[in-house]
Amino acid sequence: MIAHPLAKAALLMLVIVSCAIAGWEYYLRSEGFVIGYNDDEALWANNRAMVYAPTDKTTVFIGSSRIKYDLDVETWEKTTGEKAVQLAQGGSNPRVGLVNLGNDEKFKGKLIIDITEGLFFRPEDDEQILSRLKYYKEATPAQHFSAKTDWVLESKFIFLDKSNLSLGALLDQVSIPERKGLDFDAIFPTRFSYINFNRQSIMTKEFVSDTNLQRKVKDIWTNFGGLKRRNVPKGDTLQKVMAEAVAAVAKIKARGGKVIFIRTPSSGGAYREMELINFPRAEYFDQLLLLTKSNGIYFTDYPELKDFICPEWSHLSPADAVLYTKGLIKILEQKNWFTKHN
Amino acid sequence: MVFNSYTFIVFFIIILILHNLPFSWKTKKINLLLASYIFYAAWNPPFILLLWMSTVIDYFVGRALYTQTNLSKKRLLLVLSLIGNLGMLCFFKYGTFLLDNFVTVVNAIGWNFHPAKPNIILPAGISFYTFTTLCYTIDMYEKKSKPVKSLLDFSLFVTFFPHLVAGPIVRPPQLVPQFETERKANQKMLLEGLFLISIGLFMKVVLADSMLSAPANTVFGAPGKLATLDAWMGVLAFSGQIFFDFAGYSTCAVGAAMCLGFILPQNFLYPYAAIGFSDFWRRWHITLSAWLRDYLYIPLGGNRNGKFRTYINLMITMLLGGLWHGANWTFVVWGGLHGFYLWVEKAIADFRHDKVSAIVDTPSGEVGVLGAVPEILKPNIFRNFLIAMFTFFLINVTWVFFRATNFKDAWSILSSMFGFMKDGEPILTTLAILKVSVIVTGMVIVHWIMRDKKTLELIYKFPWWLIGLFWAIILLLLIWSQESSSSFIYFQF
Repeated sequence: MIAHPLAKAALLMLVIVSCAIAGWEYYLRSEGFVIGYNDDEALWANNRAMVYAPTDKTTVFIGSSRIKYDLDVETWEKTTGEKAVQLAQGGSNPRVGLVNLGNDEKFKGKLIIDITEGLFFRPEDDEQILSRLKYYKEATPAQHFSAKTDWVLESKFIFLDKSNLSLGALLDQVSIPERKGLDFDAIFPTRFSYINFNRQSIMTKEFVSDTNLQRKVKDIWTNFGGLKRRNVPKGDTLQKVMAEAVAAVAKIKARGGKVIFIRTPSSGGAYREMELINFPRAEYFDQLLLLTKSNGIYFTDYPELKDFICPEWSHLSPADAVLYTKGLIKILEQKNWFTKHN
Repeated sequence: MVFNSYTFIVFFIIILILHNLPFSWKTKKINLLLASYIFYAAWNPPFILLLWMSTVIDYFVGRALYTQTNLSKKRLLLVLSLIGNLGMLCFFKYGTFLLDNFVTVVNAIGWNFHPAKPNIILPAGISFYTFTTLCYTIDMYEKKSKPVKSLLDFSLFVTFFPHLVAGPIVRPPQLVPQFETERKANQKMLLEGLFLISIGLFMKVVLADSMLSAPANTVFGAPGKLATLDAWMGVLAFSGQIFFDFAGYSTCAVGAAMCLGFILPQNFLYPYAAIGFSDFWRRWHITLSAWLRDYLYIPLGGNRNGKFRTYINLMITMLLGGLWHGANWTFVVWGGLHGFYLWVEKAIADFRHDKVSAIVDTPSGEVGVLGAVPEILKPNIFRNFLIAMFTFFLINVTWVFFRATNFKDAWSILSSMFGFMKDGEPILTTLAILKVSVIVTGMVIVHWIMRDKKTLELIYKFPWWLIGLFWAIILLLLIWSQESSSSFIYFQF
């Protein structure tokens, strides 16, 4: 017999909480949702710690969101036998990560840098990468333990996909008329994508087949200025940006590391055209290669890479990511990227 | 480790099991002490040495202070203890700040001095445990209480994990006697403790982190001019965030201690229903305001040396109270504004010849605070509510200085709030404004309804199934929001 009223309340609470969680999880599974990880500081830091793995068996990737979608980590690792360490971050400026690796005396490995011009050539620092680096350097033992527990739970329960299914994420999906004059806030549809433990972003099946969802993301790119002529860094500002990249690349190469720049596919007529108008290849990507004395792989230069269609103009579908990764590996082999293991 | 983390859940379950196994009381206390060290070391293991040093020195100095009969030697011991404790606090917390100000001053008078920037890491909770140990040695000097009998009990008093890093700031008589006889939570205490932990986590994780932190950060981090509505919403969001964050922590601390059979003092008593500023300080961070009253305001003379000195003592106390919160002049201004509000309130009370007492008990009877009890506290619900809302309005103004990282940002936000900033731009989404409006309005209403009530007494007035339903809803929202492991704001103090 339960004597105390709070004991009865606690029992009722346990029943309701258990049933609600089980019901929510069952509903999500029946709706086709899959396991997704929280792409937070801890997951990034977990990968950041891997950059020191044997340099002949590891390639580190930095960039913005495109390489996170376009590189299929499983295909890479199966095909090459090497580890792919994904450090790219959606919407971030990868130059901050490049400078960090350049200043890291212990890093002597292979680095592939994906260039999304509007982000890489931005002169400002990047809070996303800075906060991840801070976590990487300062995380406490308690944070490490919590992160590991979190990953175990996230690997079992779909409802723990924070970026898509948390209270905040679902509230963001509520359609409310926005205030006039407000800068556009990018709220991606819940079914756009999820993150796996390798930090790969993967478009959902629903998104790949639903042109209405694709249109919503295209609207985001349009509102973000993808179809507008923008103030792009030029002159002194651009020179400073280039100099920062040149210095970082030189440091890595001086330690015996390898660096290559890539430009992943984007598509959609007007969107692609505006990218080229804002950031002409010769003045930005090619100039970067020239100044850093590095190789580059621009998707339009290679038959294996040039014909991909991005469902929402900017990222590849999972099936195309596999093909793109295979194509990229082939080109990298031609450029002697991989060490021959006997 | 923070309460809102998986690490703490695992840690706490192990502690609860160990505490309920049939060990001797001494073994259980050793378990609690070791657990508290692990709790602290989970942040930055080397800083545990500081904690040990502070504990051992103050234990022996405290005993010597109590038994020493030679007044000169006694004073010397006290000074050494103060230098040791405050010196450590000054170095870690104010070292960079003092150096920066020194450099600014010497450069202003023409000495071109630019030293290397020191890289000092602030040990978690140093402000809190320094105040805890300080009050022990001062009490020993004044023979207010007897020395703690064993180093084990004293170490546990200083280090007991629920209060270690962010309070409540406990006094020896509040906690030490609880270590003398075996304590174990009965079913009622355990359930009430778990209920309080659930509420505390809900306040921190759902309300502070998931709902209010983003609008507050957006507004206080905005580089450009802000629209009036956005500035107010950002400040109100921070007003809610700082309360839910810190009161959430304190509620978890009280709940965790209760699950183990210990009682910690309350730290918050619905402060946004305060009728005036002396009432606010009876309700906000109660254990700090009581500490400042007993170990700063009263030693300065309190209200014993005439009205002028009372005003000066009040202001000194509030300025130093502001500086305690952080090594930045903005915190000093925050404290100064509160001091000014208390001055005005006291001046009104003096003018009206209200019978007031500078030191009073809180409505819950735990501790007293600075300031006078205004006549206005006499029952008059409508007038009191209006004054409470005016108090809340003025408190929001002070939060601008508390949250802004520099005066330029603070002035910019204040200008936007009061319509002096032309062409301010909207920055918050409709959803963010709705979240802040609903939560802050709800918070103020709940504070007003609950201002003279206690949560744990109130819950027994409702049927058990309603409490169970409420408990389930807050836990589900907690799980659903998935904001784990973010630090509490007051850890930086």
